[in-house]
Amino acid sequence: MQIIYLDNAATTIPDSKATEQAMEFIQDKFYNPSAIYRQGIFVHTALDNAREGMLQFLDANRTHNFIFTSCGTESNNQVFQFAVKSNKNIVVNLGEHPSVYNIAKHLEQKGYEVRYAKLARSGAVDLEHLLSLVDDKTTLVSVMHINNETGAINNIDRIAHLVRDKTKNHRCYVHVDGVQAFAKITYNLSENIDFYTVSAHKIGGLKGVGGTYYKKNIPFTPFIYGGGQEMGLRSGTENVFGNMQFFYATSNRMANLKQCWQNVVDCKSYIQEYLEKELFKILYVQNNSPYILTISAVGLRGEVLLHMLEEEGVLCSTGSACSSNAKYKYSRIIQATSLKNPEIEGVLRLSFGYKTTLAECKQATEKLNSCAKKLKAKLL
Amino acid sequence: MMEKVILIRYSEMHLKGQNRKIFEKIFMKNLKLALGDIPYTLVQIKGRYLLENFNSQDSNKIVEKVKRVFGTHSISVATKVKSDIDIIFQCIQTYLKEYCLTKQTFKIQTNRADKSFPLNSMQISSTLGGMVLKNFKNLAVDVHNPDYLINIDMRENGFTFISYATIAGAGGLPVGSSGKGLLLLSGGIDSPVAGHMIAKRGMEIFCIHFHSYPYTNLQARQKVEQLAKLLSTYTGKIQLYLINVTDIQEQIHKLCPSEMMITILRRFMIAIADKLAKQIGIQTLITGENLGQVASQTIEGITSSNAVTSLPVLRPLIGFDKEEIIARARAIGSFEISILPYEDCCTVFLPKHPLIKPKLAEVERAEKKLDIEKLILAAFENMEVVEFKL
Repeated sequence: MQIIYLDNAATTIPDSKATEQAMEFIQDKFYNPSAIYRQGIFVHTALDNAREGMLQFLDANRTHNFIFTSCGTESNNQVFQFAVKSNKNIVVNLGEHPSVYNIAKHLEQKGYEVRYAKLARSGAVDLEHLLSLVDDKTTLVSVMHINNETGAINNIDRIAHLVRDKTKNHRCYVHVDGVQAFAKITYNLSENIDFYTVSAHKIGGLKGVGGTYYKKNIPFTPFIYGGGQEMGLRSGTENVFGNMQFFYATSNRMANLKQCWQNVVDCKSYIQEYLEKELFKILYVQNNSPYILTISAVGLRGEVLLHMLEEEGVLCSTGSACSSNAKYKYSRIIQATSLKNPEIEGVLRLSFGYKTTLAECKQATEKLNSCAKKLKAKLL
Repeated sequence: MMEKVILIRYSEMHLKGQNRKIFEKIFMKNLKLALGDIPYTLVQIKGRYLLENFNSQDSNKIVEKVKRVFGTHSISVATKVKSDIDIIFQCIQTYLKEYCLTKQTFKIQTNRADKSFPLNSMQISSTLGGMVLKNFKNLAVDVHNPDYLINIDMRENGFTFISYATIAGAGGLPVGSSGKGLLLLSGGIDSPVAGHMIAKRGMEIFCIHFHSYPYTNLQARQKVEQLAKLLSTYTGKIQLYLINVTDIQEQIHKLCPSEMMITILRRFMIAIADKLAKQIGIQTLITGENLGQVASQTIEGITSSNAVTSLPVLRPLIGFDKEEIIARARAIGSFEISILPYEDCCTVFLPKHPLIKPKLAEVERAEKKLDIEKLILAAFENMEVVEFKL
């Protein structure tokens, strides 16, 4: 059976060209980058060049540094552990990915003050509410670039500017989780953003590789101690192959960012147009990423539909699980956007990537319609 | 010569009179099954089994495996030496030097089967005790609550076993000595505990699980497989029969009153289990039912489901409180699996207010609209079987 993969926000097919480009680093260039003979130095230099390249992709060489980490989650955790201070507060929002939300919760349990900004109906952060939470004791504001469940794009440059403005007289860091935006949309990293965290496997890289852009001159501290790799900020012998493959994959994405963007715009609009209106409701339309389409088969159960689609070869994800336990039943993020329960119940997320084709989306649309119709008929 | 041996004592089997031989044979077979391809020799000596000739690094692994075999009362890892006071003391000395470094107490307890040995058991204990006190200034005797209890077991064949700890076994009777039962295994907390309890009384357990894919997911199925696998670590092997009841649920949903959904579905489950049991020669059904716990477990609910089987239904948890069941689930290691948040039978069809006291006649009348025979046959056609072995 042909698989139509529409779960690219979860992970993407590794870029085989990038894998091939990086292959030498698990073959004859296997040396430890910390070794001081020339073979080691060669590998070290390759990594440094890749690091420079990563900065160039976001036009951030002048303002930022970049370190490779083991994943987006590690990157986010490091920022939080660094920026949190006692008797101060940090401001996050209800839409954040677990790798941000749960470290915030953890710090809160340890006694730090954490403030949670609400989400607007659009799925983006409620900017007014967020700003009202920021005060002269705020040491960190964290807002994701693109929401992984709603697809809403936060205007991070504007948010960073306004936060800066409000915290002129003290040091307040701005962190952006860029995992769903990096190398998917055209973006140059703003000077007002202190930390921008990314992940490799969402853009054709490998699982187990991530990275952090951090502003120069920040006294950033490590989370993992050891041999002092990554400028002392992330010890542990480098994942040379993974990091190099990440660099090449990013490079390949950046080389045709515009075409890819146009393609997913076409995919998303096709599905939006041809999904049957009496079966599906399109959620979060306003200012939304073309890579993510969140829909609801109102009145049906998302997970059941997901499994029916799975049988047809269409893979996607859902915002509600088959569980009678409220804690696991509905997505925290979807709930935060004030939808009604029957809408949340039927949520499906389709997400597109650099490999998605319009032809696949046409087939998927047909299958979505037919599965939902079938399920509805069974239940009535 | 100091050789490590493992003594395995069995429980209850000595009570079985004429049948003892049969029980012992099954127990021996189960021990061998549990130990798999670990090299060893196993002999039966009076009232116990003696495991010898294994690699000393395997001893913890062997203890862990034997501990779980039903019928095992207790296990001791012992050192086997010649029955000679000096040699015995030497052995104790080596042990104490390694482990007793601080101020502690000990007791020596002797069992002498070899009546030809010049000292009686009391004299052996006191002689060895004296030697220990003389050589270890940090140790004192405490006969009531010692830190170290040293067991001396002097056998008839000129050998003595010295052991320092007795490890409790799983107890019960060897699996296979009490017939066969079919356990209705859901993904919940109760049914694995029920299965474990009955297996402990020597019954060979088979499992049947009902799912409603695609209304339930693959993780839910994996969870049930994990539970069956866990049970197999106690019973040696488990066959798990998986039955999809989606079509049945859909038909009930369409044709019967919604508040009867659970009652009728439950009757289907028991009927299917009954049919399977009879097909493969199983004598009884086992459920994790617990009086009054949920709507279908009232006496009326149990009556209505019991009506569709002619087999006895064992319900070992019927009178337990939830906390008691949870404590048992934790002890056997199923609790962590059972609380994974995947549903077994999808809640999609479940009514808000199920019937708490269904009347059998009414349920039977409501069911008339369904082609029960055909639905059961269809469910059977799609049955899957998975086997788990130690």
